[in-house]
Amino acid sequence: MRSVGVLVTLFMVLALFGPLLAPYEPTQINIPNRLSPPNAEWLLGTDALGRDILSRLLHGARWSLGLAFLVSVIGLCIGTFMGLIAALGGKLADWIVMRTTDTFLAFPDLVAAVVIAGVLGAGTGSLIFALTVTGWMRYARVSRGIGLSLQTRGYIVQARLAGLSPFAIARWHYLPSLLPSLIVVWTGMFARAILGISALGFLGFGVQPPIPEWGTMLLDARIHMRSTPLQMIWPGFAVVICVLAINLTGDALRDAVVEQEHKD
Amino acid sequence: MLSVDQVFVRRGAALTLQDVSLSLAPNRTLAVVGESGAGKSTLISAVLGLVPCTSGQITWANAPVRSCRRALVLQEPRSAFNPRLSLRRSVMEPVVAQGKAADPARLDTLCRGLEIPPDLLERSPMQVSVGQAQRVGILRALIAAPPFVLFDEPLSALDAVTQKHTARLIAELQREEGFAALIVTHDLGYAAAFSDDIAVLRDGRIEELNASQAFVEAPQTVYGRTLRDAAFALGALERVA
Amino acid sequence: MIRLIASLFLRAVVVLSGAALATFALLWHAPGDPALAIALARYDAMVTAEVVDQVRAQSGLDAGFWPAFQDWIMPLLVGDFGQSSVTGRAVWPELVTAISYTMPLALTGLLIGILISVPLAVVATQRPGGWLDRCAVALASIGAAIPAYWLGLLLILLFAVQLGWLPAMGARSPAHVVLPALTLGLGVAASFTRILRSGILEARGQPFLPAFRRRGVAGRDIERDHVAPHAAIPVVTVFGLELAFLLEGAVMVEVIFARPGLGSFLVNAIEARDFPKVQAVVILAAVLFVTVNLLIDLIYRALDPRIGERDA
Repeated sequence: MRSVGVLVTLFMVLALFGPLLAPYEPTQINIPNRLSPPNAEWLLGTDALGRDILSRLLHGARWSLGLAFLVSVIGLCIGTFMGLIAALGGKLADWIVMRTTDTFLAFPDLVAAVVIAGVLGAGTGSLIFALTVTGWMRYARVSRGIGLSLQTRGYIVQARLAGLSPFAIARWHYLPSLLPSLIVVWTGMFARAILGISALGFLGFGVQPPIPEWGTMLLDARIHMRSTPLQMIWPGFAVVICVLAINLTGDALRDAVVEQEHKD
Repeated sequence: MLSVDQVFVRRGAALTLQDVSLSLAPNRTLAVVGESGAGKSTLISAVLGLVPCTSGQITWANAPVRSCRRALVLQEPRSAFNPRLSLRRSVMEPVVAQGKAADPARLDTLCRGLEIPPDLLERSPMQVSVGQAQRVGILRALIAAPPFVLFDEPLSALDAVTQKHTARLIAELQREEGFAALIVTHDLGYAAAFSDDIAVLRDGRIEELNASQAFVEAPQTVYGRTLRDAAFALGALERVA
Repeated sequence: MIRLIASLFLRAVVVLSGAALATFALLWHAPGDPALAIALARYDAMVTAEVVDQVRAQSGLDAGFWPAFQDWIMPLLVGDFGQSSVTGRAVWPELVTAISYTMPLALTGLLIGILISVPLAVVATQRPGGWLDRCAVALASIGAAIPAYWLGLLLILLFAVQLGWLPAMGARSPAHVVLPALTLGLGVAASFTRILRSGILEARGQPFLPAFRRRGVAGRDIERDHVAPHAAIPVVTVFGLELAFLLEGAVMVEVIFARPGLGSFLVNAIEARDFPKVQAVVILAAVLFVTVNLLIDLIYRALDPRIGERDA
């Protein structure tokens, strides 16, 4: 759990303060020096409009990482809520929630996100909606599963008997046991959101220019693939590093959680 | 007065309880004995109002049992507590849930009655012994002064010495608090020594219902006699000379 | 058993109905006036208010949600996917053409993925924790973090631009399928290697296996009769996920490599706001997905009799 905290803090710091480290404004156009390779002035070179790539990368972190964080947390809240309703609400509620989850799971999630973002019009709002709507289901399944298995625990029975409200029971007796597994799922979804945001950006359906989101940067770079191939490396590399870091942390977390569950 | 009136309970395809009738007055203890599979857990869930009756009714003072304060002491003491909360927090839950303020004097009295040292409540459930945990469980059951308390195999997880001790504490507290006690157990010795009446549950039906002493001396059914004789053989019950 | 199949089938039907409703609802609520968009696409500069109204009436867009939904779903149930709102031509034939381009790509990609991952996983698990095993895990982890579109671009850069060995754009020849399939295949290999590897290791760790070995059962027999079926379970489950990956990958890869296929069909339809086409692709993907997952669910239960009704 600690390593997730460290990682997330690192990413958030990068997203929030990265722009401060940026030597240039990401939208500062500089046509005479466009498409220059990495040199002393522009560490990673400049793009087609002469904008410093390093600065754009650093500013873009706020979008590629920050938005991904937001999207995955919203998904967590929605999904956990749905899962708890399914576990605690009785057979009908369970059936409704599970069929709804299955319905949303019937679509491959990136295809669905592309369709949603594309149809609702490009832009950050549709992006958030698209990725949230396609990303809450795993949390629901996990929290329902764990919730159901906790139903018969002694202290849950006691809480119900004592007349504790369903909200209080969920808050004090279910959530603490759900949290470890939910965080493991969340790391996977955070990584998926980063990939999703940049994929949609690459297709032109996501965050719009001139915002330096990494996917849209890749889209720009593609046009100049023959003249400045290096330009294509950096945004993709940024995505890979972040996703890899999150996945590795998620794996370590999953192992730790499984160990913990064995002890319980 | 707890009144269980011709209750049938269906679980899944089977009728787990059939035509069960009992009654229990304040300050009295009724022991329900039976083997595993006899329907004891279903009876507990039904009496607590956690499971609906397919037919018949269960009332306390002529009102549905769900509307009155009731409490449960579980067989496995530690699982009765949320491992992430302190014992104090768990103990006060019935009071907090009612929206009432905590009464430190009452807590103190009960702790003394149950021989619980004051600092024990600050610990987590995993940090106390099984015997201590069970006594804290009883504490939680009684904290909101419920008129009736249900005990589900309260002594089974304890060792022999602790069993006797805890049984005695429960009996003393009943004299002081005046609650009605329904004890579900497979231990006929415990039932005979600490309850006023014994009901024998078998395959979902009450085979026999009688005062404890009367039952031990002269069981009225073949099954009842089998149970009693087995208890004698095990030394769980002492023959009255 | 029949009951189980029936109930799973029924569940699939319910889910697909919900999916169809959701798809239609999404497109119904798309911003902008669809009649206007269609009219513009068809008649270009000659659009007036009357023309738009005419288009609206013709397309049944003025009828309200439920009638329009029925207009779509009823023909769909007998296999009629409607007409393109832009060209007026039937959707199904173009859809079939698109699928005929995507299928070879997806299958080749899947094949490449399996050809890489299966030997790798099997060999790596011979010595768990050894050099090859750790390499395999590292590569698989990195592979899982690489977005398909970036990988595709890198492959184009290396093999087409710098080395000139393979063609990049279009689908004119079999050689054109190599780079796109490789892009997909490497992605498949990355996740497959991990799942297969952990499946094999877990199957080997089953508690009753040492007893078999002590009694003299041959290693190969153990692998065949006890390790393989048990390891097959997560692998089978993953097939469902890989299908999703292939579909999504197809979208990205076809756009990058300028290949015709389901992916470009979808993206072009979205950009042209040709909703009947978009609906067709989405519902087709959903049907495919649900069916495959249903089959996997059944196979899963057949392979592991311990799995009861875990999911309501």
